[in-house]
Amino acid sequence: MPVGDTSECGCPGARTIPVWDPLVRLVHWGLALTILLNAAVLDEESALHEWVGYVALGLVGIRLIWGLFGSRHSRLSAFPPKPVTAMRHLVALSKGDKTVHLSHNPLGALMVYNMWVTVLVLGATGYMMGTMQFFGVDWVEEAHEIAFNWLLVSIVLHIGGVAFDTWRSGVPLVRSMIDGRKRVPQDRPVE
Amino acid sequence: MIARHFPALKRERRAVALAALILLQALCAMFFIGDVVIDLGQGDHLDDLHLILEAIAALALSAGVIYLMRELRDLNNRMAAMELGIRAARGDMSNLIDAFFDQWRLTPSEREIALMVLKGIDNDSIAKMRGTAQSTVRAQCTRIYAKAQVDGRAQLLSIFMEELLHAGEQ
Repeated sequence: MPVGDTSECGCPGARTIPVWDPLVRLVHWGLALTILLNAAVLDEESALHEWVGYVALGLVGIRLIWGLFGSRHSRLSAFPPKPVTAMRHLVALSKGDKTVHLSHNPLGALMVYNMWVTVLVLGATGYMMGTMQFFGVDWVEEAHEIAFNWLLVSIVLHIGGVAFDTWRSGVPLVRSMIDGRKRVPQDRPVE
Repeated sequence: MIARHFPALKRERRAVALAALILLQALCAMFFIGDVVIDLGQGDHLDDLHLILEAIAALALSAGVIYLMRELRDLNNRMAAMELGIRAARGDMSNLIDAFFDQWRLTPSEREIALMVLKGIDNDSIAKMRGTAQSTVRAQCTRIYAKAQVDGRAQLLSIFMEELLHAGEQ
């Protein structure tokens, strides 16, 4: 019997690696909450809808600043947006690649930037709608609407991606976004 | 209460509190910056002192946010380094145990039992886990103690304890 550790999850030989710092986690769930509130709960004409939108904007801003000099896996340089690498990752996936990525995987990274940009567009067009200059201007309202629909599509893809990668890599990803630790099965190569 | 006994958990909680504080303060900073920008845009009827105070508040908050972010990053790095250290120590410990077991020429099943003894599992539970009679386990334990030249459980454990403490003194 090997003397080595079996970590607290009880899966023999799994390595538990701290990945997501608390700021990343709070921003993630905070953003999810603001999106949920503004999409499904609050009246879109209300002042609260505007303020929640600004909070979402602020959260993305904070995350971007944190991405410049924050802790290792949260830095933007740890997951640069590279469509070519993402395509290669997709090909590797179809061949049954089991590599575990400690930060975001290349596809996940694209999704992250996509979400941030979409929220920024939503925030910007939302703000514009409240200004004298753009009040009632059609293209601004349409842009807000399109960005919102795109965000919904993105959320579905995001959840699907998380479910797929949890199954593929054997790392419970949702749990890692709650307590910050990725539990990597022993036999998986790590990147 | 639990946190006092597990400093790692306490540090983790501190990191979460720090992150929450950073978020709140950053949102406040953005509120003030937005306010200043809008006031500047409107121009004419603002009294200067009010604007200057607001701008100072915005700057102070922003500086505080950046400072706290650096603190959080350092705290994270320290926690990661400590976790690495603990993992390395664990690796060393299992190497040490393996080395002693080799030296005593324990059989594979004796190694298993010796490890369970070290982990503080009593004979009854060991017998249940291995699906053998308690007397068998007792006999095997006796052989292990004989090979290790110790009187029993406590002394077996103390061999490793002593090794660890010596390592600490050097």
